[in-house]
Amino acid sequence: MRRTYGLAATILFIIATGTAALGQAPRKAPRKVDEEDVAATAAVLDHVWLNASHNSDGDTMDWLFADDFIEIHPGGLLADKRQQIDQIRNPQGAPLDIRPTDIQVRYASPDAAVLTDTTIIHGKSGDVTYDGQFRVIRVFSKLHGRWRAAGAGIARITAQ
Amino acid sequence: MRAIHVGALALILSFAPLAFGQTKSAAPAGGGEDWKTLDHKWLDSERTGDLDYLDKFFADSYVLVFPNGLTYTKAQWLEILRGPDRPTLLVLNPENIQAHVFGNVAILTDHTTIKGHDSKGNSLDGEFNVFRGVIKKNGKWYATGVVMNPDLTKK
Repeated sequence: MRRTYGLAATILFIIATGTAALGQAPRKAPRKVDEEDVAATAAVLDHVWLNASHNSDGDTMDWLFADDFIEIHPGGLLADKRQQIDQIRNPQGAPLDIRPTDIQVRYASPDAAVLTDTTIIHGKSGDVTYDGQFRVIRVFSKLHGRWRAAGAGIARITAQ
Repeated sequence: MRAIHVGALALILSFAPLAFGQTKSAAPAGGGEDWKTLDHKWLDSERTGDLDYLDKFFADSYVLVFPNGLTYTKAQWLEILRGPDRPTLLVLNPENIQAHVFGNVAILTDHTTIKGHDSKGNSLDGEFNVFRGVIKKNGKWYATGVVMNPDLTKK
């Protein structure tokens, strides 16, 4: 009988130790953030995004955009991932002429980045005519180990 | 009888690791944040001039883009709100607040009605669809960017 209790006590000790070990598992020391790497990655993704727009490349956008992607266009039109890709796949006339300038990484962390840029766009995409300069905020997020575009807000520059 | 108690205890303890493993993902959809309250608190603070709150709530990276493309950093916008040219906002009401949450960054969209005027008396009245970026640092959410566009979708 004593052997039985001794065995049970040993099993309990092992299980309890395992519980404590699992409780500590997520508390690993955080890796040091290399903001420069994140900023560089985000700047590259910014170009990938705009190149895909220029080339009406919906497949690349499908790869880049997070499922819950959201974009607000001048005029207040909101577009989710599917609507944005459909718009890009449906160019009216010549491909969009898109030139980003003044790309600034405003915020970079291990799993998020926020950029602003001034984008010069000429052409028509879907029912929207883009001719002019636009101020843009772009948001990126690292989801399941991969950087994705989370969304963008675009305003037409009319102020002098 | 005692053997049964020991067995029951062992069974309970054997489930404990599963409970530990689930605690990290226990937050409800949307990150557990009350986005509606956050958005209203943000705009109420702009309307009433609660600059202490805004100074803490705006991340250093904060940037505000107006419908005409004019852009202000955190320091520039707070300076305007503190100064004699601050706008008078009688109504600043966000509706249809939608949250798109991506871990430690989220995008809120809303339809904001503004009634008020600038320091020279020019009307600021309008309806806008607004993009609001927020980031999470040390467990707290901070505003990092806003893009305002007039809502022309109803016309």
